[in-house]
Amino acid sequence: MAPYIGTATSRIDGIAKVTGAAKYAAEFNVPGLLHGSVVTSTIAKGRITRLDTSAAMRVKGVIDVLTHENRPPMADNDQAYKDDVAPPGSPFRPLYDDKIKFNLQPIALVVAETSEVARFAASLVTVEYEEVAHVTDIFAARDAAVPIKPPASPVGFTPPKARGQPNRALARAAVRHEGEYYVPIEHHNPMELYGATVIHESDGKLTVYDKTQGVQNVQRYLCGVFGMKPEGVRVLSPFVGGAFGSGLRPQFEAVLAVLAARALERSVRVVLTRPQMYALGYRPAMVQRIALGADADGTLDAIAHDAVTATSQFEEYFRQETGWSGLLYKCANAKYEHKLARLDLPTSCDMRAPSAPTALFALESAMDELAVALELDPLELRLRCYSERDQNHDRPFSSKALRECYRQGAEAFGWNKRNGAPRSMRDGSELVGWGMATGIWEALQMPITVRIALTANGSAEVACATSDIGTGTYTIMAQVAADMLGLPLENISIKLGDSTLPNSPVEGGSWIAASVSNGIATTVAAVRNELLELAKKVPNSPLANAAPDEVKLADGMIVDERDGSRSVSIADAMRHGGVERIEQEETTNPTADDSRARNTHSAVFAEVKIDEEIGVIRVTRVVSAIAGGRVLNTKTASSQILGSVVWGIGMALHEETLIDHKLGRVMNANIAEYHVPVNADVHDIKVIFVHEHDDSNPLGVKGLGEIGIIGVAPAIANAVYHATGKRVRDLPITLDKLHP
Amino acid sequence: MAIYLRPASLKAALSTLAQASGKGRSAHPLTVLAGGTDIYPTRAGKQAWLESFPRDFLDITQIPQLRGIRRDGRAILIGAATTWTDIVAARLPPAFDALKQAALQIGGLQIQNRGTLGGNIVNASPAADGVPPLLALDAEVDIASVRGERSVPLASFIRGNRQTGLARDELVVAIRLPGHRASSRSLFLKLGARSHLVISIVSVAMLLDQGADGTIADIRITVGAASAVPTRLAALEAELRGERLDASLIERVTPGLFSVLTPLDDVRASSHYRRAAARILVRRALANFMEPQVEEVAA
Amino acid sequence: MTKKPSEKSSGASKDPTRRRKVASGAGVPSAVAAKARPTTSDMVSVSLVVNNVHHSLALDPRTTLLDLLREHLDLTGTKKGCDQGQCGACTVLVDGRRINSCLTFAAMYDGAQITTIEGLARNGALHPLQQAFIDHDAFQCGYCTPGQICSAVGLLAEGRAKTADEIRELMSGNICRCGAYTNIVAAIQQAMGQS
Repeated sequence: MAPYIGTATSRIDGIAKVTGAAKYAAEFNVPGLLHGSVVTSTIAKGRITRLDTSAAMRVKGVIDVLTHENRPPMADNDQAYKDDVAPPGSPFRPLYDDKIKFNLQPIALVVAETSEVARFAASLVTVEYEEVAHVTDIFAARDAAVPIKPPASPVGFTPPKARGQPNRALARAAVRHEGEYYVPIEHHNPMELYGATVIHESDGKLTVYDKTQGVQNVQRYLCGVFGMKPEGVRVLSPFVGGAFGSGLRPQFEAVLAVLAARALERSVRVVLTRPQMYALGYRPAMVQRIALGADADGTLDAIAHDAVTATSQFEEYFRQETGWSGLLYKCANAKYEHKLARLDLPTSCDMRAPSAPTALFALESAMDELAVALELDPLELRLRCYSERDQNHDRPFSSKALRECYRQGAEAFGWNKRNGAPRSMRDGSELVGWGMATGIWEALQMPITVRIALTANGSAEVACATSDIGTGTYTIMAQVAADMLGLPLENISIKLGDSTLPNSPVEGGSWIAASVSNGIATTVAAVRNELLELAKKVPNSPLANAAPDEVKLADGMIVDERDGSRSVSIADAMRHGGVERIEQEETTNPTADDSRARNTHSAVFAEVKIDEEIGVIRVTRVVSAIAGGRVLNTKTASSQILGSVVWGIGMALHEETLIDHKLGRVMNANIAEYHVPVNADVHDIKVIFVHEHDDSNPLGVKGLGEIGIIGVAPAIANAVYHATGKRVRDLPITLDKLHP
Repeated sequence: MAIYLRPASLKAALSTLAQASGKGRSAHPLTVLAGGTDIYPTRAGKQAWLESFPRDFLDITQIPQLRGIRRDGRAILIGAATTWTDIVAARLPPAFDALKQAALQIGGLQIQNRGTLGGNIVNASPAADGVPPLLALDAEVDIASVRGERSVPLASFIRGNRQTGLARDELVVAIRLPGHRASSRSLFLKLGARSHLVISIVSVAMLLDQGADGTIADIRITVGAASAVPTRLAALEAELRGERLDASLIERVTPGLFSVLTPLDDVRASSHYRRAAARILVRRALANFMEPQVEEVAA
Repeated sequence: MTKKPSEKSSGASKDPTRRRKVASGAGVPSAVAAKARPTTSDMVSVSLVVNNVHHSLALDPRTTLLDLLREHLDLTGTKKGCDQGQCGACTVLVDGRRINSCLTFAAMYDGAQITTIEGLARNGALHPLQQAFIDHDAFQCGYCTPGQICSAVGLLAEGRAKTADEIRELMSGNICRCGAYTNIVAAIQQAMGQS
């Protein structure tokens, strides 16, 4: 059997992507397709008093202008608008009524025969409002912030309980550090514009191509909003041009396109503009206070982590913002306080590793400051505080090779050559800084269903309604299926991104790799069992007495694992049984064992070179050492980490959604002024996967989509301190912040 | 509904502009289109604000005489529709190095292949990277209309943030660079929040002519993005002119000589930072001319 | 990159003032004309060659080259990432030079030779850059990829980039939010080595 798992297999969807053949949501063209252009609010809060669409309607080629006043019926209760991952509260309802809850809120949809006409006519819609005072500044809403409520829904996060006597421990600590840290709102900005193409089929059913990380989530949601039967709506998303969490919840482009398609009984496409995408979710701004207390020898004795994060006025979005602190390091005393500031903005949402990069920016900056206070090497401090247990829940880790990450990362980086004194290292006229930080994320697995259809000619189709948002899901599914079915990779075809396929959770939280690979393993076992039954019926079958768990599939054969000479070819078994096709569908549930914590870890080392006079920072080197369980594909996994490091560079130096608080509106709602790194901002990045065996699931997979970003921003900020002696506690570290 | 005109001669373009800007017909004037790189980016932003985008266009890219670089006596003429890539590829004296360096830092290559010099000055952004080098070259703007031709200094052509002295029926035909000594050297430094694809926080163009005796025969220093209009630092130029070009000069670049700048506090930087950065870039540009050979210095 | 078309584009360019569209009832643009209802005569005719295929179309003059490709010619390989000239996802080659197709009207390219991502492979064989992008995993979601590859084709033709740093500089007009830059540079270096 050619082992594909663990190899650098090129993406099976690579040819489609490099030739332009891969089709994304707004690229399904059908005859008679109408184009919708969205009109958005220019105020942050209030209500619409007059909405005049007459000029738009007069433009030739305009079919209709849909508003809250003339739209067809939509559900009138919150439950109908709740999607699989909705936070507590009352979800936003697009085009529902005259109320304005945030700036750039969709208020009308102009539908026309061409996109040019729709766009032009949209500019002719005139709106009058009654404005109400709004608040969009987290610092203005900070004092009114309310403590989070542990959620009733299983997708929410329950904050960990305090332990020990943190106040007393802080008071008695030989060395203390306390600081306030700020991370601004950030937007996902996937390259693909949010869009949906709704095809109105001849039988009245709708085929919806949507940009989403969860086709079934969108399908259920649309059924709820429009009172449609599940069989009447099929949602597809074969390729997704990046999402990073923005596509976990259904977005309003799909609602608007379906609304128009139903109203007009025509096929409709709605594509948002780049500025309009700033009305989707965002990583919440986070104001944090961290207090650390340590003994003189560097033993951490107390952690207090308080946070205020932003959400909308109508939903309570939060994640585990404060809990990471007491989990990452050994510390007998810990306490947490997490409050929500309600702002007149859309609801914040998951963005790559929600809560962890922000929380660990504060924690890992604070640890660096503590190391300075202790006059300890920052890596040495981490080793002295190394935790072998999850103290939040008093349990061991299923696996934790973080120590090895520190060792291999430090070695590859050359950390032992670091002169600890700030401003001590130079390269010509530039200051050089070396910083490091730790990362931690969850290793999650979700219930998933996988269907495998094997044909006698030795090809198999593997189907699951999950998504591939660029993570490499197509490829790892094929690799796992090929290895387990004992077939060549090219004989495997993957179907995903279609709501009619077997159930999948949304693709997020780094859980799909573990969920779908183990899901494939379960279904392959069922296929194998059926094959074994057929093989036993072959005359003089060498497998007549074999038990299912004693055989495997390899090289097109059903093979006795104890004696490789005893085998029956899959083709023979199926032919003798008169079976042309074997199809199995199985659901795999993750282990219910809560006795161990499951996490991925990383150690990140960063080098910066700084032109101090003008504050220009270059991140010249990053080494990211990852302990993430088994790596299914070293090529795509490495890409996940490389990309995450680039995200970390952006978070550290560039990314910030700037709001004009007078207008309650994003000022830099475009990618010329919302800066993400460009090619020339990225230099040498080295990714190391340390060996880590984990038996939480049969394949030992933990997931790698998020861990790579966590710890990058603080490693860079710590390097900036090391280079300049200047501690920047609010991101991003723009040029002017280093200026005297 | 939209109007799209693509004349192949300057005469036809001017007569169309004259008609379009006639009395009583001014509500939707023709927007002159060349590279489009400053016009299109406003479109999605205008949609987000429910503002209309220009609908009626006069495409001047098919008018041969508007594109290309040629000599006119001692002057060099750059056609208004000449692209940044054309400028980079052209053989020009060292006095134009600053302009070339600016051209290489405008957007990505895709923008440089489309964006034009004329568009950059007519757009009149305070952060227009093409303007500081042109001001340092004492550029003039050749303007034509059916009423006739005129030439005005660039410094007076640009009147404010997004404001120029161009009448509705006029077209910028060329940018005229009067004669330069072969010994003039120039340099452009740009500071942005990322390496590329970035609007300047501040930019500096410096043109320097050193006499045989080592003194500064002429120096012109322009700072972009630090005032409503890129600004020549006349007081500083006067301070340095006639002096020997050596390290002691750096200390003469004092903050007071930058008081003419009126930088804004905006999303890209504070006014304090801009003012300080302008001075640092000027000092670096000056220092760069003291090096044995002139190299491109990216800030 | 592109070959000469077998058929020359229309001879409209001889007309000194090519009036692509005249508002109904008005000789010149005006507020009145702008409000008038357009008719089919509002269309402009455009002839261009895309991937060696000649097209003659009647278009709304506001149609961008990008929308022409995606919506009229069903060449959806060219991507719309910002529609504002800020990301490079829409990069195509016009007469061999890379440009952002979202920034221009299709009508401005009357008579031009356009090469898109769909036109790079020859006789079923991937362009060396396409293969290099696969080999180096120089993409994740794939959305910026056609623009990156077209931009890299332009880069190789320009011949200015020699080092990794120069590739980074001259590829900075193409944003990749997945952050595949490291691998994009490696892929371009591989293709450079072959050319």
